[in-house]
Amino acid sequence: MDVESMTTNDWLGVFFAVFIFVAMIYVYFMVFRPANKDKFESQRSMALDDEDLINSGDKK
Amino acid sequence: MEATQAMPVKYDMDVVRWFTIAAVIYLVVGTLIGVYIASELAWPFLNLDIPYITFGRLRPLHTNSVIFAFGGCTLMATGFYIVQRTGAVKLWSNGLAWFTFWGWNLIIVLAVITLPLGMTQGKEYAELEWPIDIMIAVVWLAFGLNYIMTVAIRKSSHIYVSNWFFMSMIIMITYLHVVNSLAIPVSLTQSFSIYSGVQDAMIQWWWGHNAVGFYLTAGFLGIMYYFVPKQANRPVFSYRLSVLHFWGLTFGYVWLGAHHLQYTALPDWTGSLGAAISLAMIIPSWGGAMNGMMTLSGAWDRLRTDYILRFLVVSLAFYAMSTFEGPVMSIKTVNALSHYTDWTIGHVHSGALGWVAMVSMGAIYHMVKKLWRTEMYSDSLVNVHFWLATIGAVVYVVAMWVSGIMQGLMWRDYDEYGALTYTFVESVSAMHPYYAMRVVGGAIYNLGAWIMLFNVVMTVRQASAAHRTNAVPAKA
Repeated sequence: MDVESMTTNDWLGVFFAVFIFVAMIYVYFMVFRPANKDKFESQRSMALDDEDLINSGDKK
Repeated sequence: MEATQAMPVKYDMDVVRWFTIAAVIYLVVGTLIGVYIASELAWPFLNLDIPYITFGRLRPLHTNSVIFAFGGCTLMATGFYIVQRTGAVKLWSNGLAWFTFWGWNLIIVLAVITLPLGMTQGKEYAELEWPIDIMIAVVWLAFGLNYIMTVAIRKSSHIYVSNWFFMSMIIMITYLHVVNSLAIPVSLTQSFSIYSGVQDAMIQWWWGHNAVGFYLTAGFLGIMYYFVPKQANRPVFSYRLSVLHFWGLTFGYVWLGAHHLQYTALPDWTGSLGAAISLAMIIPSWGGAMNGMMTLSGAWDRLRTDYILRFLVVSLAFYAMSTFEGPVMSIKTVNALSHYTDWTIGHVHSGALGWVAMVSMGAIYHMVKKLWRTEMYSDSLVNVHFWLATIGAVVYVVAMWVSGIMQGLMWRDYDEYGALTYTFVESVSAMHPYYAMRVVGGAIYNLGAWIMLFNVVMTVRQASAAHRTNAVPAKA
């Protein structure tokens, strides 16, 4: 690799590519960690839980 | 939803109702224009020698009306609906939501005026001239600010995954639209891109593919993750998978644009990178599609009777299919055959008609019942619409697949002397039956949209009449 010829844009590209790669690994680790399973899955039914909350809205 | 179980919330839903009705109207208009321009390709005399209605002028009007008018109003209706209900809170600013509604519709009116007049920047899916681009940025930011601030003031501790998808769309589309639209104006109706040559092409497709990735995918996945569980009355199959789906899609999509520029002046490695990441994106996309479908585990029998659920499930099947087809088409070997052919049009429409529009229709039917607190005027018509939409999409897509592959094969066929076997005109002539077949598929799909509009209007009238009947004794 010709490090001398790397421009600022090249270095930014390398930085973001490596950052995103590491971040994605962290996400996988966080999501699949057994200790986090219940924390995530407790939100499964969140969309269903809003049914009783709706009142009249502003429909005339 | 911890803090709010006991306290009913009064939401700002009037603006959602208006966006919903507007979306259905734009679905009819947008697909009707599509049918007309498809007819022009099959029978060119339909141009009628009127410049304002030629294919070149009306095609951007079709794409803008289905993507930004229908798709935009659907996203804003569902977005404002979901963010309030999952956060158990009213909109941060109802006034800003109305500004978004009128601003977005003014932009659509300006598109209807300027595009047939031939005022265009010539950038696909970003045709509108610079003053309208600035208006888009302002109105989109108003939508984004309102959405994000409503999330910020939510009463629930957790931010539901749909909101993550919507916020990802809002942030990325702001960034993409502003960068891609940078131009030097020379008059009120003309400007030139600040990019040139291959950089212009790269920026254009960085925008183009991410308009698909964030606007037409992330936003509509936000819709899917809310409305599939709601309509199925089942919790999401795996919330962990939805988190992976979100981050995989958000990290991955921005790399794909270069696959639109295989075999061009763009450096070869960028196209290869685009194709490689495209293939990797099958994993989160299929994970998400499976997650949506498996949400129906134990409730598959509901598909027999729940016509709205059918829209949502079939949309997921199309989502899975087009997110497999796209990466395959980005592979250089396949792209050598598919590029510039109707296969691309078939691929786009399997995503647009099958995934985006079907999930929207399912969500809109669900919302109409909730927003007007009524049942649909006719469930049978919802079923008729479902079959028309499904059959119309399949006929359209199959016509374009056959036409596209035939085009690709004819264009690159050569004889023993190395001369092309077919002239270009021969390939055009050979496509005619498939172009006519596309018109039939599109017309079937458009008929379904008219039925939806009729059904929604009658449902609203029925609800209003019931409301008046209930209100009279109260007054007396």
